[in-house]
Amino acid sequence: MKFLDDDLRGRVGLWLWRFWAMMLKELIQLGRDSLLVFAITYLFLFDVYMAGNVGMNLKNAVVTVHDADHSAASRELIYRFQPPYFKLGGEMADGRAGQRLLDTGEALVVLDIPPRFEHDIQSGKPTAVQVQVDAANTVLGFLAASYSAQIIGQYGFDQALARLGVSASALENVPMIRDEHRVWYNPNQKDAWFMPLSELLVVITIMAIMLPAAAAVREKERGTIEQLLVTPLSPIQILLPKVVAMTLVILLGTAASILLVLHGVFDFPMKGSLALFFTVTALYAFTTSGLGIFISTLARNLAQAALLAILVLLPMIFLSGAWTPPEAMPAGLREAMVLSPLYYFIEMGYGILLKGAGLDILWDSLLGLALLGMTIFGLGVWRFRRQFG
Amino acid sequence: MNLRRILAVSYKEWREIVRDRLFLTLAFVVPAALMLVFGFGLTLDVEHLPFAVVDHDKSAASRDYLHRYIDSRYFDYRGDLESERDIARLLAASRIRLAIVIPPRFGERLAQGRAVAVQTLIDGTFPFRTSSSKGYVVAINSAYNGELLARYISDRMGVTLDAAMTMAQPVKVEMRYMFNQEIRSTWSIASVLVMFVLMITPPFLTALGVVREKENGSIYNIYASTVTRGEFLIGKLAPYVGISLLNFLILWLLATHLFGAPFKGDPLFFALASIIFVSCTTGIGLLVSLFVRTQVAAMMLTVVVTIVPSVLYSGLLVPIASMDPMGQFEAHLFPAMYYADIVLGSFLKGVGLDVLWGKALALALYAAVLWTASFLLFHKRPKA
Repeated sequence: MKFLDDDLRGRVGLWLWRFWAMMLKELIQLGRDSLLVFAITYLFLFDVYMAGNVGMNLKNAVVTVHDADHSAASRELIYRFQPPYFKLGGEMADGRAGQRLLDTGEALVVLDIPPRFEHDIQSGKPTAVQVQVDAANTVLGFLAASYSAQIIGQYGFDQALARLGVSASALENVPMIRDEHRVWYNPNQKDAWFMPLSELLVVITIMAIMLPAAAAVREKERGTIEQLLVTPLSPIQILLPKVVAMTLVILLGTAASILLVLHGVFDFPMKGSLALFFTVTALYAFTTSGLGIFISTLARNLAQAALLAILVLLPMIFLSGAWTPPEAMPAGLREAMVLSPLYYFIEMGYGILLKGAGLDILWDSLLGLALLGMTIFGLGVWRFRRQFG
Repeated sequence: MNLRRILAVSYKEWREIVRDRLFLTLAFVVPAALMLVFGFGLTLDVEHLPFAVVDHDKSAASRDYLHRYIDSRYFDYRGDLESERDIARLLAASRIRLAIVIPPRFGERLAQGRAVAVQTLIDGTFPFRTSSSKGYVVAINSAYNGELLARYISDRMGVTLDAAMTMAQPVKVEMRYMFNQEIRSTWSIASVLVMFVLMITPPFLTALGVVREKENGSIYNIYASTVTRGEFLIGKLAPYVGISLLNFLILWLLATHLFGAPFKGDPLFFALASIIFVSCTTGIGLLVSLFVRTQVAAMMLTVVVTIVPSVLYSGLLVPIASMDPMGQFEAHLFPAMYYADIVLGSFLKGVGLDVLWGKALALALYAAVLWTASFLLFHKRPKA
C-alpha cells in the first residue's frame, strides 16, 4: 500500500514539475517579446482608459434656429435648448440655410418657429414647430429628436397651464402625473462607469482567444512542435501549461486595469466581491481559451489563425451586449446571445461590480458560462489531442 | 524603381497567397461575414424593455395608465410585484430593466383633480439604454398628461374635448429626420460598416506579411537580391491592396443592394477616397509588421491599432461630436473617423468633394506618413 502511495506521489510530482517547467517556458517566451508585452499592457491600461473618454450621450449638440416670429414666446422656447444636451448655434435669416448646415454637419438640429407663433398660442390656435434632425448618425439623431420633442412638449404644456391661469404653486391642484424617474446603479449615467468595464471584458476576451491560439500555432509554424513531440509530454501536458500561463497573464492585466484605471482614474464603484469577480474571470479566460485552441488546430500559420480569430471574436463580442444593449438586438439574434460566453461574463461583470449582486442572484449566468465554457474547452482539447493522433 | 522587379515581388506574394487556400478564402469570407452579421444585427433601436409594476392602487385608472406601457412595443410587461422590495432583486438579476410604482389613491387623487407622483426605477448599467428608456417614459407621461389636462379643461371651461385637446397641447412638433427619413439604423449602419470592415481586415491581411518573412528567415532572399526596399514594399503590398479593393467593391454592393442603403454621392470621388483609405489601412498593417520581431506581437499590435479605434473612435456606435475634448483628440489620431464622414456623406447626404475634400486630404496625408515611415523603417541591412 505504501509503495503505491509513493509511486502515485512520484507520478503526481513529476506531472506538476513538467507542468511548471512548461508554464515557465511560456511566460518567459512571452516576457522576452517586449513589443508583445507592450501591446498587452496597452490594451489592459490605455485602451480601457481611452474607452472612458467616449460615450453615447448627447452632449452640446448644435441647435440652429430660424425664428420667424421674434416674440417673447419664441425666445422662451429657444432658450430651453440648453447644455448639457444642446448648445445654441445662432440664428438664420432664411429657413433654407438650415439644410446646408445639416449637410456640412455644422448643426445637428434646425428649429423652425413659424410666424405668428406667440399670437397663435395666446389666441388658442394650434401652431407647429418644425424640427429637422440630422439622423445620419442614428444615436445622435434619435437622442436629439427625443430630447427636442420633450422640450417642446413641456413648453406647450407650460403654455397651456399659463393660459389657464394655473401658477406654479397651484400645480398640485391640476390632475397630472408627476414623473419621478430614478436611475439605479449609475444615477448620473456616467459613461465612464460603463464603457471602460465593457472594454476591459472585451480585451479579456481578445486575449483569451488570441494568446493561446498564437502560442499553439507558433510551435507548428516554426517546427518547435517536433521538439515537444519527442519529449515525454502528453498533448494535455503541452496544452494546459499554455492555457494556464495565458490565464495568469490575463488575471494580472485585469487586476492592474481594475486597480489603476477603473478604481484609480474613474472611481468605479466596486460594490460586489472582487474575489468572486476574479474567480469568474479566471473561469472565463480558461474556458474561452478553448476557442483559441480550436482555431489553432484549423490553422497552419499565424496569418490564418489571426483571420479565424477575428471571424470568431467580433461576432462573439457583438452578441454579448458589450456594444449595443440586448434590447436593441433584432429577434433571432437576441436568442443567439446565449451562445456567446461573453454575454454571461458581461452580465456577471456588471452584476458583481456595479450592482453588487452575489451568487444568489447571478447563479444562472454562472451556470450558463460554466456549461458553455466547458463545452468549448472540451471541443478545443479534443481537436488538439486528435491532431497528434 | 524597376517595374519588372516590383511585378516579380508581387507575383511571388500572389502565388503564396493563392497557394494558402484557407488564407485566400478567409481574406474574402471575413469581410463579407462581418458585414452580414453586423449589418443585420447592429441596431440601436431599443425595444421590448422588460418591466414590472408595483400597483398600490389597483384601480381602473391605474390600469388604464399602465396599459400605455403594456401596449407599447418599447416595453415588455413582466407582471405585477407585491412590494418595492422585489424590485431590487429583479433589477440586479437583469430580469427587468424598469419598474413602475403606482402610489395608493392614484385614481382617487386624479379624479379629485390633484397631481400624483409616479415613480419609475430604471436600470442604469448601459447609459444609452437608460437614455432611451427615460425618453420613452417621459413621452408616455406627457402624452397621458396632455389627455388629463384636456379632460380637465373641458370639464372646467365647458368646451368640447377636441377643443380642449388643442388648448392642452398648443404647440405641435413636426419632426423631420434628414438623410435617414425613418431613422433606420440599418441605413447609416450598413454604410458605416464599409468603413468598419475596411479598417479591420486589410491591416490583418498585411500585418503578418513582412514579419513572417523575418521570422521564417526567407527575408534573407530579399536582403541578398537586387530588389530595392521601395520596390519590395510596393510589390509586397500590391496584392493585399488588390484584395482589399475587391472587398471594398463587395461591401459596397452588399450595403447598397442587400441592406438597401441609398448611395447619393459622387461615385468617382467615393472610389478615389476609398482607394486612399485602403492604402492607409494596408499601410497600418505594413508598419506594424516592420516594427515587430514576432508574428504574435504583430497580431496583438494590430488589434490595438484597428479593432479598438474602429469601434470606439470612428463614429460607428459612439458619436464623436459628443465626446469630451480628450476623446475627440484621440478620435482625430485615427483614420477611421475621416473615412466614416466620407462614407456617410457619400451614401446618405449626397455630398462630394466640395464638402469632404478636407477629410480626403487628411486620409491622403495619413497614407503618405504611413508609407514613408514604413520605407524609412525597413532596411536591407538590419542592425541585429
